[in-house]
Amino acid sequence: MIISLLTRTITMGTPLLYGSLSEVYSERSGVMNTAIEGIFLMGAWAGFVGTYLTEGNLLIGLLAAVLAGILTAALYGWITIYLKQHQIVTGTAINILALGICAFFQRVIFGIPLSPLIVRPFQPIAIPLLSKIPVIGPILFNQNILTYLLFILVPAATFVLYKTSLGLSIRSIGENPEAGDVAGLKVEQIRFLTILFAGIMCGIGGAFYSIGYLGLFTTTIIGGRGWIAFAICFLGNWKPLGALSGTLIFGLAEALAIFMQSRGSGVFPNELFIALPYILTIVLTVGRRSFNVPAKLGVPYKKEG
Amino acid sequence: MSSKFRDLLVTNILAVVAGLVVSGLLLLFLGKNPLEAMGTLFGSLFRDGYTVADIFVKATPLMFTALAFGFTFKANLFNIGAQGQFYLGAVTAVGFSLLMEGRLPGGLALVLIAALTILAGGLWGGLIGWLKARFNANEFLVSMMSTYVALNMMNYALRTFLMETKAEYPQTNPLDTSVWLPIFIPRTRLHIGFILAVLACVGIWVLLYKTPFGFRVRAVGNNKDAAEMAGISSKQIYIAAFFISGALAALGGFSEVNGVQHMLVQNFNPGVGSAGIGIAILANGDPIGIIFASILFGALQVGGNIMGQLSGIPSSIIDLMLGFVMVFVILSYYVREVWEDRREKARLKKAVNL
Repeated sequence: MIISLLTRTITMGTPLLYGSLSEVYSERSGVMNTAIEGIFLMGAWAGFVGTYLTEGNLLIGLLAAVLAGILTAALYGWITIYLKQHQIVTGTAINILALGICAFFQRVIFGIPLSPLIVRPFQPIAIPLLSKIPVIGPILFNQNILTYLLFILVPAATFVLYKTSLGLSIRSIGENPEAGDVAGLKVEQIRFLTILFAGIMCGIGGAFYSIGYLGLFTTTIIGGRGWIAFAICFLGNWKPLGALSGTLIFGLAEALAIFMQSRGSGVFPNELFIALPYILTIVLTVGRRSFNVPAKLGVPYKKEG
Repeated sequence: MSSKFRDLLVTNILAVVAGLVVSGLLLLFLGKNPLEAMGTLFGSLFRDGYTVADIFVKATPLMFTALAFGFTFKANLFNIGAQGQFYLGAVTAVGFSLLMEGRLPGGLALVLIAALTILAGGLWGGLIGWLKARFNANEFLVSMMSTYVALNMMNYALRTFLMETKAEYPQTNPLDTSVWLPIFIPRTRLHIGFILAVLACVGIWVLLYKTPFGFRVRAVGNNKDAAEMAGISSKQIYIAAFFISGALAALGGFSEVNGVQHMLVQNFNPGVGSAGIGIAILANGDPIGIIFASILFGALQVGGNIMGQLSGIPSSIIDLMLGFVMVFVILSYYVREVWEDRREKARLKKAVNL
């Protein structure tokens, strides 16, 4: 039972880690990606549509999700970075727009279907040998391809952020864009790149819900998970490894919620477990003490003169 | 008319038109004629008095949630949780209505219900403000997450102690007519909740611009540190602003339950919070502007629904219109900045030449 709970923790944590890892990058460069919920939704929708229309080709679905994520993120980045409009306000607008686009085009493409539309999602792949290790094996090495991709992405993201000049550039323009500009860094360009990266990652993260797990799409499929990924970045102190540990906590909360719901009514109502990840976000947001917030987070860079 | 205000009017109208044009063009994907559809949308609005009045009925909850966002926005705070506060208000209102109906005279009951709703929404909002003041918690995240908590509380209530006697659906019994908000234009659905909403907008405008408290709220919004230096406790402002904001959104729930639905059903008005944010942005946070922007969005909702009934266009077109309008409104902020900048430069040039 504990093993199945932890397996599900990793599964439910996967999309959150895609989101929070990319949020670490964009926030380190000084831009909050407040369109994250909308990008997740676009990814989930495009992933589903791409897969369904190609009769189950998950790779096409994933590509469609990445493309939808990039487009949505580019719109957000253009308005907030180049036109320097308010990040929270713009994000809210794009989240509403994303909802409208998904709902409307879902109807355009599929009409009103008589039976629910489903696809066969990415299946878990048991890695030979490794999946046979007791306890760890089934938890870590019997997941789907999107989870395995993170095994590479997390160390890579940590390495790039701390050990390469690109990472240094990203971190420095989040702290002091003026100095970066004087040193020849293209502040807006780098920020825009981190947002496009967020588009790719959150597109995949969103697609995980539709084609990596449930095999269907509804407009409420994300249900605030984008915001939870957003919160994890903040709770993980804007560090990739912080995002990883935050993700595990939230993955566990979601896994617990599913487990308790499937067990049926006990002393506590189901609604309490459904709300658990959200309550946890509030508790952790309130309870945290250390802050490593990038100095220029959320402030558009305007050149003097 | 100042040139700034003129810019605001011109760019906002253009933004709304652009948003409608783009979403109209997307109707081509459904094989519908956009001009015909828009003709239906606006033509049907004025087909009879009932429909015209419905515009104001739809505008009512939007005014409350837009005010909720707009008011905290003036203090540079973000209450993204108006949807949850709206639900909380709805639950409180329906709960006390069911408790009081038949036991108290209708008028007295309504006043008490409104007061209790204000208290519930205010405490819920005030808690968010307090967490911000006491623990420096990010109010944006906390208010966002509080919506999901409120939603689940509502679902729980509807499944248990508030569930209808038939115990068939997650909804309450219908309310007794004595606790309905009175309708002030006969043969329509227009109830006094609309008047309450307009009064709230005017009241918030007075509070913001004509009272010392409002001055302090705006001072904290403009520059928290400078306000602190001047002896304004920003922490008190956080709590007070969020209390008022939460109470406003909750009143929206009260007005919907006692004025329109006359019961509480699961998942009603799911977009009222985000539409409120859009409206507040369109109105630049100005309470009087919110009245007009809400009526505009109310008209879009009514027209969009009729369009759906008459020509089979899905009601998601309303979300689509809302989204595009919002994006264009934000772009119009940029255009205004460019224009203002240009005027400033022209002024400076003139001054130099003199």
